[in-house]
Amino acid sequence: MLAYAARRVLATIPVVLFVALFVFSLLYIAPGDPAAIIAGDQATPDDVERIRASLGLDRPFLIRFGEWLWHVLNGDLGTSIFTNLPVAHMIAQRIEPTTSLMILTLILSLSCAIPMGVVAAWKHGTWIDRLVMTTAVFGYSTPVFVIGYLLAYLFALKLDWLPVQGFTSISQGLFPFLRNLILPAVALGLVYMALIARITRATMLDVLSQDYVRTAKAKGVAQNGILFVHALKNAAVPIVTIVGIGFAALIGGAVVTESVFAIPGLGRLTVDAILRRDYPVIQGVVLMFSCVYVLVNLGVDLLYTLFDPRIRY
Amino acid sequence: MSATAALAAPRLARAADSKILRFVPQANLANLDPIWTTQYVVRNASLLMWDTLYGVNDKLEPQPQMVEGHEVSPDFKTWTFKLRPGLKFHDNEPVLAKDVVASINRWMPRDAPMGLPIKKRIDALEALDDRTFRFRLNQPYSKLLFALGKSSSPCLFIMPERMALTDPFKQITEYIGSGPMRFKRDEWIPGSKAVFERFDGYIPRDEKASWLAGGKRMHFDRIEWQILPDAATASAALQNNEVDWVETPSSDLIPLLRKSPGVAVDIADPLGNIGSFRINHLQPPFNDVRARRAVQIALSQEDYMRAVAGDDETLWKTLPGFFTPDTPLYTEVGGEPLKGKRDYALAKKLLAEAGYKNEPIVLLVATDVAITKAEGDVTADLLKRIGMNVQYMALDWGTVGQRRAKKEPPAEGGWNIFHTWHAGADCVNPAPYTALDASGDTAWFGWPKSDLVQAKIAEWYAAPDFAAEKTAIDGLNKAAMDDVVYIPTGFFKFYQAWRTSLSGIVKAPFPVFWDVTKA
Repeated sequence: MLAYAARRVLATIPVVLFVALFVFSLLYIAPGDPAAIIAGDQATPDDVERIRASLGLDRPFLIRFGEWLWHVLNGDLGTSIFTNLPVAHMIAQRIEPTTSLMILTLILSLSCAIPMGVVAAWKHGTWIDRLVMTTAVFGYSTPVFVIGYLLAYLFALKLDWLPVQGFTSISQGLFPFLRNLILPAVALGLVYMALIARITRATMLDVLSQDYVRTAKAKGVAQNGILFVHALKNAAVPIVTIVGIGFAALIGGAVVTESVFAIPGLGRLTVDAILRRDYPVIQGVVLMFSCVYVLVNLGVDLLYTLFDPRIRY
Repeated sequence: MSATAALAAPRLARAADSKILRFVPQANLANLDPIWTTQYVVRNASLLMWDTLYGVNDKLEPQPQMVEGHEVSPDFKTWTFKLRPGLKFHDNEPVLAKDVVASINRWMPRDAPMGLPIKKRIDALEALDDRTFRFRLNQPYSKLLFALGKSSSPCLFIMPERMALTDPFKQITEYIGSGPMRFKRDEWIPGSKAVFERFDGYIPRDEKASWLAGGKRMHFDRIEWQILPDAATASAALQNNEVDWVETPSSDLIPLLRKSPGVAVDIADPLGNIGSFRINHLQPPFNDVRARRAVQIALSQEDYMRAVAGDDETLWKTLPGFFTPDTPLYTEVGGEPLKGKRDYALAKKLLAEAGYKNEPIVLLVATDVAITKAEGDVTADLLKRIGMNVQYMALDWGTVGQRRAKKEPPAEGGWNIFHTWHAGADCVNPAPYTALDASGDTAWFGWPKSDLVQAKIAEWYAAPDFAAEKTAIDGLNKAAMDDVVYIPTGFFKFYQAWRTSLSGIVKAPFPVFWDVTKA
């Protein structure tokens, strides 16, 4: 398995290189000009042109790409056009809020979604099943920002329990950390929870109709044992798959959530960079996200062997 | 990680601190070089960090700020200035005349409306001693003090010589200020937070503060700029006492804020803004003045203003002129085409006379900016009403900023119309008014060319007194209307909102932090 993991890690290199080339090309052909934004509305066309030249944006595509790639291979993601700060530093500043948001969202979503899916399958056709599925449909179809505003209105403005916005590092204490992050995590997690709950229910329904479950019942295994030990383990492969796929949705949702709750994370960094055409930052962040996504997929593949010993790499 | 940790200080403890001001600026502070970029958010932050030689007061008169005084020769060609004693940079080094000279030299090429004309007139700009510097001009420039103290971007901020020697088209790499607040670079998280702390070495003037003039006395140890890009979040944070002051709350949310306990709302900038319908004078059909007039006589400013600022009529008014209302040079002479009933039939006739034959009119609309989106939608409807074939290009502002610089025909990537707006502070007279320049190739985007407009601007510069200035401005307004340099779409203002625990908030074209206190 270690050899397989090593092969997969090596295989990510061409994928990431392709992503790098794709993003660089896309930004090159996309309209928009950071020099015009820097110069401001009152600037003359000549000013804009001089700033563009000073940023090196007037050079040919291949030279710019080659330089950037060389720097990346040397561990240098470049410098932001606007802030003059190293891109790696800007990413480092933003990584804790986004990672915290993702982890808390994952914990909340999985801890709610899997029991909900299991119970819905177990009580298939009852009001409990319908309630779980209605909640899932609501969660899946309501935009993250709507949930975010509603939560902020209720828990911050009306009840005054939680802040509207901001982020507190975990180094400042667990309570303030959770106090800031709980609303964004719930807002972001609802869609993820809905997705996983539905898949869990569907997979569990299939598993619960298998012969070995009937045998387990006949042997007198307790209901919880059947559901959470025998059935859930066998239903885990599709659930883990959807958790991995949903990770991409989580990254997309984090962009919106971070804007609504003013969390200084990577999502907002990406949006700000795109709006300003801060090319080095966009390239750095996309490269980082693509690496993370490839690694998550690798993790999912490796987890398959844990849940299903028949799978070998 | 440490920067993130610094971001996260105990919220409740800070909320109670009367020495900390939590401010939500109009936009993200992505850099802090007010010469390299002319964005207003950068100018506003720079006003905290750097001081200016002169500063305009609320009557738009330049008053001495870093200078003690000046002497001018009878022919107005030699200006000698002396700095106030005791001025210090944030590294505690003294502010010297050589720093001023370097700062002026960096500012001039980036300030097209005022800096460049001064640069062209300079025979010598020299430091005579540590506190004295002198301009020697080859022809008089009557608006020199206004240029040195104007509030429009780029302002002439005084930086240490080593910073000011940076190419004006490249960004500075350190932030050593000369103003009342010091920038905390170690706490800066672009897109999220910028922190300024009081600089104890700053010596305010004795006079009462008025806009950029007078004693800039700071009553806060820290000013924290919190970047909240979402208008609803900023509004909720203000209601929830998580921030103290929001520079530009969304107009839609003003009724809600008015009802919120502990929140005050008022006009932010009395000089407001002038909406702009910018026309490309190089390309048909608008290279023919009759086509430009066709749009002008059909355009309803009320439609634009309702779309931009809503039905709150205290926020906007129609504007049959180019200059900022309620300022000394305001005039409506020549503004008749923008008054009265709109005449679509005459507009169609003028278009036919101009030879318009249903060619596509490329309208660039920055849909990510609420004002330009609203203006663009009204324009699309207006052009259809007068029989034009509109090609509505929904873009973001970054793309409009790039494409508007293209002089090619619209079919080859150029354009016919785009919208923006001009700060009223930039439209009080012709000096900072880039948009009114009609010098053709060297003019602002759209490249209008009118010798009469340029002659009137020159007449204003040469005017010996206010009456002569007023006469020149009347003529300029009429000439610019007749040539349709651009079409003003109306005059509008924004609100600002703050916690009632703050006092001393004033109306100005920029947030004025001095003399603001917190209970």
